[in-house]
Amino acid sequence: MITLDVTGRLPIYEQLCRGICGEIAKGVLQENDRLPAARALAKELGINPNTVAKAYGALERDGVIYSVAGVGCFVAKQKDRADRRFLEEFEQKTREAKKAGVSEEMLRGILSRVYGEKEKHGQPGGDGK
Amino acid sequence: MIEISNVSIGFETIRRRTKKDGAANPAAESGTGDMFALDGVSLSIPEGCVYGILGSNGAGKSTLLRLICGVYRPDDGSVMIDGEKVWDNEKAKEKVFFVNDETVQFTEYTPKELANYYSCYYEGFSVEMFDRLTEQLGLPVNRRLSTFSKGMKRQAIVALGLSSGTKYLLIDEAFDGLDPAMRKLVKNMITDAVLDRGTTVLISSHNVTEISEYCDRAVLIHKGKIVFSGEIDEIRGGLCKVQFVRKESPVTREEIEQTGLEVLQYTLLGSIAQAILRGDSDTVSEKIGQVSSDLAEQIPLTLEEVFVYELKARGYGDETD
Repeated sequence: MITLDVTGRLPIYEQLCRGICGEIAKGVLQENDRLPAARALAKELGINPNTVAKAYGALERDGVIYSVAGVGCFVAKQKDRADRRFLEEFEQKTREAKKAGVSEEMLRGILSRVYGEKEKHGQPGGDGK
Repeated sequence: MIEISNVSIGFETIRRRTKKDGAANPAAESGTGDMFALDGVSLSIPEGCVYGILGSNGAGKSTLLRLICGVYRPDDGSVMIDGEKVWDNEKAKEKVFFVNDETVQFTEYTPKELANYYSCYYEGFSVEMFDRLTEQLGLPVNRRLSTFSKGMKRQAIVALGLSSGTKYLLIDEAFDGLDPAMRKLVKNMITDAVLDRGTTVLISSHNVTEISEYCDRAVLIHKGKIVFSGEIDEIRGGLCKVQFVRKESPVTREEIEQTGLEVLQYTLLGSIAQAILRGDSDTVSEKIGQVSSDLAEQIPLTLEEVFVYELKARGYGDETD
């Protein structure tokens, strides 16, 4: 379900966090769904099991997932938690765009176009808001 | 926990250890300067981690591993395993299995015979695990190692190492000679050992991407000295690449240095100035705010890039030299 770009610039644990949040946002993973065991995911992706544990730890701190001792990790009730990463990224990109001289109107244009699309086609998932 | 404190070892010590004659070379002993294979190295390796050992060619990676498993005695400093000196200490050495980079010894034996041999030495040796691993790897356990290919020999020795049940597993040039399918299989076997037994694994490699993917901590050695060590994410976060765009005139190296940032490298591509800066992302972004530019974009570095820039800063692999 999650793919990694091992030559990528984001740390692997961060790629895992984003990957899992992405799956939640898309609705592939839903509330109370069990996440793959750290061992299974580490083996599947050929990465260090401690890295998976680190990613799960970060997601748990953010309240995206919860863990049950001896059983595993599960998707928590989502309000805006999984979205927070997207919002942070969005804000950062917006700042960059502003610095590069992109006007607010242009960005608003993109926003209304994207949200307009969603209504038109009734796409499932979205950001859950 | 493996603790290496202020360890130095001279090439002459290694030469005498390797050569049977053991005669001192007075010319070498009186020399100074680049006489040390490792020079004042301190490192601590916590339990349960997968530790990557990176280095330029001839940096001292194998020497470090041989010091940890007690093949070499340091000229200076100490190598401790769980609080005990490892040199000439059977109790400490029993906790370590070393997969040598050089041609495997005992090639006249079969893997099965070697399993019998190692089970005499390592108390925790599991014949059951050896059978299971060699079956997974598809290795003929009753054929002499001399008939094996390079990759098969390594698989056999790694299987023996994992079966020995030691707390510490040292693999020199970890995945060398293994095809991609076997790499994954061997990695997954190591993953199981880390999770099931809390094995601490040290692997040396030239393949930085592989280390960055599979290890949680790493050390970079260059000319016998440590360049950096620690968690991989921290190491990667220790340098930043920033692209400055300014239309009227490109941002100069001096302007960046005036903010107090260390510039490891500066390149100018048209109106874009690209700089490699020391510092974590937050510090760098705060400081580069002082440089006037149309756009200053931070790009995280891969471990491979950090490797190259750190060594270039030390004059290694620099084309302009």
